[in-house]
Amino acid sequence: MNNDNNNLIEASGFTLRYGRKTAVDNLTFHVPKGRVVGLLGHNGAGKTSLMKAMVGLHGGTGSLKVLGLDPMAQRAELLESMSYIPDVAVLPRWARVHELITLMSGLQPKFSAERARKLLKRTSVTENDKVKSLSKGMVTQLHLALIAAIDSKLMILDEPTLGLDVMSRKSFYEMLIDEWCDGERSVIISTHQVEEIESLLSDVMMLDEGKLVLNLSLEEMDSRFVALAHDPAAADAVADAHPLLRYRQQGRPAALFDGAPPAHLDGLGQRFRPSLVDLFMALTRKPEMQRQQA
Amino acid sequence: MQNWNQTAPIYQQLADRLAVQLLDGDPPEGEAMPSVRALASRYLINPLTVSRAIQALSDMGLVETRRGMGIYVRPGAREALLKSEREQFLHEEWPALRERLARLGLSAKDLTWESQQ
Repeated sequence: MNNDNNNLIEASGFTLRYGRKTAVDNLTFHVPKGRVVGLLGHNGAGKTSLMKAMVGLHGGTGSLKVLGLDPMAQRAELLESMSYIPDVAVLPRWARVHELITLMSGLQPKFSAERARKLLKRTSVTENDKVKSLSKGMVTQLHLALIAAIDSKLMILDEPTLGLDVMSRKSFYEMLIDEWCDGERSVIISTHQVEEIESLLSDVMMLDEGKLVLNLSLEEMDSRFVALAHDPAAADAVADAHPLLRYRQQGRPAALFDGAPPAHLDGLGQRFRPSLVDLFMALTRKPEMQRQQA
Repeated sequence: MQNWNQTAPIYQQLADRLAVQLLDGDPPEGEAMPSVRALASRYLINPLTVSRAIQALSDMGLVETRRGMGIYVRPGAREALLKSEREQFLHEEWPALRERLARLGLSAKDLTWESQQ
């Protein structure tokens, strides 16, 4: 790999257009090794487009390097060294699990059948099962086991838990944390279930209408954003301090600040930790909805 | 799946939970803590966040990293925790409780000091 630093992905001024529509707008970021990155945004914000660009399914302008490679020009080489579940992932319904393992062994030079079998032991899927006999949750587990058995440094998951019940989502994330996250490998996950993946993430990237509106580690998030729950009587003073967002937290009025709120507000309320959902609402909502809320 | 509240950063909440367990002797002094990966898996938390929680416990002098061997509960950790918990109660929780008792018009004779069981 001609990649001598710790970054698995590097983008600089990367823009992706479909005709006249700009799907991904001038993104500059990097993803180091050993991270779990949440890629968050509303439908149409550019998440899937960005993930497609990362695996060479769509080109753009500016620079994008994945594992040191140009995804469009070196797609075949790149796909040998990464693990990807697209948002429209389907496994052939007629296939048996052991046939898929054989298929992957033929397609993916870095695939380990032995590791796939070991990962499947975590699940209730057996090698003789046919895909069409498995529940949606089991198919997703199978898919994760297959791509986690590729000896790669980077996994890209586009809405992996969409349509799964809570137990299946939990098993999915357990396998991901146990079997993938080893401090070296990274994973990028897009999802709408912001609340339940918050504790899994090391970093978060938020897209809004193709623009990167937030890109930081959870550690930075803890120190940078402050929320204040206050009495209704303090509403005017809080509004004058121009918070990012005013909302309700367990029935009480609350405000979210980028940085410490002005000192005179501290006596008017209690600080609490803003959740990723709070930040998501503050940074990605449409302006007209903000006005309705105020 | 989500059992973390918004009172404090997640790493701090994990550190608090682990501290409560240490106070109960789990694991006992001198014994190894579960590994970062084991804790990440048990609580479904990012390993970097777990490391921050361990670091917080280490900063409090409760655990120590032994190179190449893992993280161990320091001798005297339980006593140190008890001391800081007692101080926190006396300086923060007790004044609030005393104020509430006064508001409710309760005095020491209204309270049962012996456990009922």
